[in-house]
Amino acid sequence: MNAQDAPAIRTAGLGKRYGSLWALQDCSVSVPRGRVSALVGPNGAGKTTLLKILAGLSAPSAGEAAVLGRAPGQSAEFLNSVGYLAQHVPLYKRLSAGDHLDIGARLNRHWDAGAARARLAALKIPLGRPVATLSGGQRAQVGLSLALAKRPRLLLLDEPVAALDPLARREFLTSLTGAVADGDLSVILSSHLLHDLERVCDHLILLAASRTQLVGDIDDVLATHRILVGPRRRIGEVEPGLTVIKSTQTARQTRLLARLTGPVLDPSWEVTEVGLEDIVVAYMGLEASPADGQLTEIGAAQ
Amino acid sequence: MNTLVWRLHRSQAYVTGAALIVLAAVLLITGIAVSGTYHDFVVGCAAAHDCGDPSPVLGRDGLITDWLLATMAIPLLFGMFWGAPLLATEFEDGTHGLAWTQGVTRGRWLSRTVAWPLLAALVWGGALAALVTWWRAPANALGFPGVRFDTGIFDIQGIMPVAYSVFAVALGIAMGTAFRRVLPAMATTLAVFTGVRFLITEFARPHYLTPASALVPIGGDNGPSGSWVLSNVTVGPGGQRYGNFTFQDEPAACRSLPPGPKEPACLAAHGFHVLITYQPAGRFWAFQGIEAAIFLVLAAALIAMTFRLVLARDA
Repeated sequence: MNAQDAPAIRTAGLGKRYGSLWALQDCSVSVPRGRVSALVGPNGAGKTTLLKILAGLSAPSAGEAAVLGRAPGQSAEFLNSVGYLAQHVPLYKRLSAGDHLDIGARLNRHWDAGAARARLAALKIPLGRPVATLSGGQRAQVGLSLALAKRPRLLLLDEPVAALDPLARREFLTSLTGAVADGDLSVILSSHLLHDLERVCDHLILLAASRTQLVGDIDDVLATHRILVGPRRRIGEVEPGLTVIKSTQTARQTRLLARLTGPVLDPSWEVTEVGLEDIVVAYMGLEASPADGQLTEIGAAQ
Repeated sequence: MNTLVWRLHRSQAYVTGAALIVLAAVLLITGIAVSGTYHDFVVGCAAAHDCGDPSPVLGRDGLITDWLLATMAIPLLFGMFWGAPLLATEFEDGTHGLAWTQGVTRGRWLSRTVAWPLLAALVWGGALAALVTWWRAPANALGFPGVRFDTGIFDIQGIMPVAYSVFAVALGIAMGTAFRRVLPAMATTLAVFTGVRFLITEFARPHYLTPASALVPIGGDNGPSGSWVLSNVTVGPGGQRYGNFTFQDEPAACRSLPPGPKEPACLAAHGFHVLITYQPAGRFWAFQGIEAAIFLVLAAALIAMTFRLVLARDA
């Protein structure tokens, strides 16, 4: 497959081990081009590890990764096609935003100096002051501007809004949405603030317990997950067209969050739609009791 | 890439440049005075046919001589304040992740980042060496205070400050990469630099070349002018060697003399000599070359280690 129509990212059995601990394991994901993908998962799920591997900053211990059809590594082609913004937005403290832009212009092939300066000017971020004197929101905007000015084909953002107040967060995500609309750009954005991601993302990668649990377009995810409520029944009696993600039982009622693989035939189920946040939280819960933890008993069992 | 290195480290370059200018001013002003004093002394003593003891004339510059000794520490300062923070600061602040995701490869980034401080060490070390060597020219010519081989005099002139500076900066860079923290990197740079300098000065330097030996009269055991005497053994009239020559070993005629200048003369008259081993004055530049080569090879090894660590390591 040539680099032009290769997916934005594709990983197979990707893993990263630190000592005896696997930070990421058996991660197999494919994200088509042009998506804004939300990378979600609990703390320690391997989000940062995955992004570092994709950015070429970290070598995988197992499996393989391809970014735009190329293995991440030390080639100018790869480095010029990927933008990366690390957690906490590291910048050279004593240098100004203007210094950063000058340096970026000399280190990158496709640098868009005009757009970067225009963005920062529109946000009223001073170009001459050391970035250490800027606010967290302003620094995040400088970091995003640097990453976008590279004109990357893939942009990797690691928790860029975690430290920002709600207003700065909204401005950041608005900036990002504007940039994505402008060109051929794929984005992977990690966060645990699902509410924010839902506004800007159209694709989801869910990591939990160091593994990928769910990958797909958000519309498809929403379309295939439902809450089913019906009279209490035994666990084994769930019908074949369902994969139960989470279930709760009271003395009289069984409530399921399930992925549908076909129509629900049993009329005794009352089927309702479910929000993305509930789906994600249900999947994250899978790690808590991995064996047969798809059932949580509430109330007296018979 | 050069812009990045310059913008990040220009303040250090300004501070070091200013310090070097101050040092140069002090040395130039005093050095001109010293060379005047020296010139008057040499002309005067040549006329009087007695150039024996220059201490009353040149001893006055003791303070400056101590200052010169202090320049021994300058390469270490380069190592601690240029070398150690160079990469350790990047790792501490996480900016290596920013640098490594720009459009230049990590190897290219690293080679430019380390080349400039190493080059600066070469230039500043060279300037320092030139100043001190020039200042000491009269003292070197007189062999006072101290000969050029003496510890603390050998180390501050010729090409040694250049080699030590380059080594110290390379050491600092390597420690910063190994520890990824500024303070531990500075502390280990201090410890390792001091330790290596001590070990090489004490245990390696005397053996760079096989020493010459000579039989000299009793009392003449300073060796030829400007040479570095490594050992001396008293040799009796029959050729017997005294590892530790004591009063009891002296012939009775000499033992009865009162202590003073006559005693060596008496021993010489009885056929006693001193066997010395020494490094001749003419080997000074050979020794400088050998020791500089040792430190430059160590520096190259440290830079190679830095490259291995940085290229292999995850961010």
